[in-house]
Amino acid sequence: MILPLTIGVLTAGAIYLMLQRGMVRIIFGLSLLAHAANLLILSAGVTAWRGEPFPEAAGAADAGDPLPQAFVLTAIVIALAVTVLMLAMAVIGHNDDTKRMPETGETHRR
Amino acid sequence: MMTAALLPFLAVLPIAASAATVLWRNATWQRVWLLGIPVLTALAALDLLLQHRDTPVIAENVGAFVPGVAIPFVSDTFSALMILVTSFTVLMCLVFMTATGENRYRLVTPLVLMLLGGVNGAFLTGDLFNLFVFVEVMLLPSYALIAVTGTWRRLGIGRTFVVVNLLTSTILLIGVGLVYATAETVNLALLVGAGSDPRTMLSSGVVLLALSIKAAIVPLHTWLPRTYPATSASVMALFSALHTKVALYALYRITSTLYEGQPPWIMVLAVLVGLSLVVGSYSTFSERVMRRALSWQMVAGVGHIMLGLMLFTQFSLGAGIFYMIHHIITMGALILGAGAIEQTYGSGRYERLSGIIRRDRLLTIGYALALMSLIGLPPSSGFFGKVGLVQASAQAGGAWQAVFITLIFVGALGSLVAMQRLWVGVFWGPDMEDYLPDSPETGRGAKVKLTDDIRVTPRLLAPMAVLVLTQLTMFVLAGPLMQVTTRAAEGLVELAPYVQAVTG
Repeated sequence: MILPLTIGVLTAGAIYLMLQRGMVRIIFGLSLLAHAANLLILSAGVTAWRGEPFPEAAGAADAGDPLPQAFVLTAIVIALAVTVLMLAMAVIGHNDDTKRMPETGETHRR
Repeated sequence: MMTAALLPFLAVLPIAASAATVLWRNATWQRVWLLGIPVLTALAALDLLLQHRDTPVIAENVGAFVPGVAIPFVSDTFSALMILVTSFTVLMCLVFMTATGENRYRLVTPLVLMLLGGVNGAFLTGDLFNLFVFVEVMLLPSYALIAVTGTWRRLGIGRTFVVVNLLTSTILLIGVGLVYATAETVNLALLVGAGSDPRTMLSSGVVLLALSIKAAIVPLHTWLPRTYPATSASVMALFSALHTKVALYALYRITSTLYEGQPPWIMVLAVLVGLSLVVGSYSTFSERVMRRALSWQMVAGVGHIMLGLMLFTQFSLGAGIFYMIHHIITMGALILGAGAIEQTYGSGRYERLSGIIRRDRLLTIGYALALMSLIGLPPSSGFFGKVGLVQASAQAGGAWQAVFITLIFVGALGSLVAMQRLWVGVFWGPDMEDYLPDSPETGRGAKVKLTDDIRVTPRLLAPMAVLVLTQLTMFVLAGPLMQVTTRAAEGLVELAPYVQAVTG
């Protein structure tokens, strides 16, 4: 039961944060959602009663499905890259919580 | 020339080239890679397309795992055709990019190459999770491309694009996880017909929802017209040729595989297709800037392409695929033409532009032909695109027939009138007196008196002209091309060769 509850809490927190205005909070929201997605994929390997995904340790009948774990590993790496990129964009972008643009000398007539 | 073992290289090679251009930043070296890689992938795709006349599907299971566990790369007529068309259009966008000098911004070359690698991978993959990975590979450079080629204002708007697409990617990931949980595989060849199980039907619905957001189907379209016009013209042309089209390709592929053409939410799809046709066309009226108007036309185009999928006969799929190719090429021509005008006169606003018809005759002729293609008037590829869809609707019979033929015409009428406003605003009217010259420091400088020697240069015009000529060739050679698209559609209807090739 702990896994579905965690996924639920993470998703709720993610949605709350994503509805905020500041870019950094949106990024935190997106990474929480990525965690929720990862746990959800992990649960596809039937975590309820299966053991580690090593047949030597848990026995072939009780070993977990290794594929969701491989998925999650890939997804974590991608989420990390995305978070870094987004944080970079938050730094170079607007002043986080204001609508005022930095003085760059650019004009915006089209 | 191309063999199954070489299929992964269509994705790997651009990404390796991306690394090579990060490490060595010589300008000539970068330009060789930037223009060489799309040429190379287009040639490879052409070779694959020729091969698929005899062998409908070739597949490679990466890593020598047993089929079903290994990650498959699959090429059939549909994917080869998509790679050919997108690589060609991307090449034209990149030629335009070198003409505007945007390729000299730092890291643009590697980012574009990585984007291309992700797109090719997404077209070739036969595995849902791998699709998610390649979609991410495709999106990450896009976020950076908006930032690199943009001004500060563009960066702010780019955030909308980033957040919407990241959220969608996460939904896609959740969907893939749920599909694995319910169907115990994410290999498309093993998922054939899995949608008949109600649990898989629901979980794959999450995947389709994510792809629908990425494809910008009404009512999930609002992010597209807000973000695309805010990037530069060449980047917008790149995105319009690649992003939504990858999502549409995946929608075609997954719907035909999982449900074997009988999606349980056909009514929902019908409503969305109808809405996209009309909303996209009529929202164009609200815009007074060239590329913003075009972005709404992209939404209308998505409706047309999805109509082919919704009707799901071999003929309608073929018509939808034909329309998709037409749309990629025509949209590319229109956006690059608008970009050439913006680059030269410093504005895409209807009220700031006038009398282009007397200044740039060649551009005007090309733009007129491209606009006719967009609306579906002969002589243009759009004519046969719409004729195909009307025929497909007529074959469907019953209520579909009346509703969709009416909607196609109502949509075309709206687009026609809306595009006339663009035409009158930009090409007609008195001669322009002043313009905003390009300035490397501030983006756009102050108003300057327009002299006679300021014209759209042939270098800026060439990519658009090539795309317009391609589009005219598609009109002349519509028969042979429709044979190819029908063969592509056959691959979506007859799944046995696909399964055979992947599972060995």
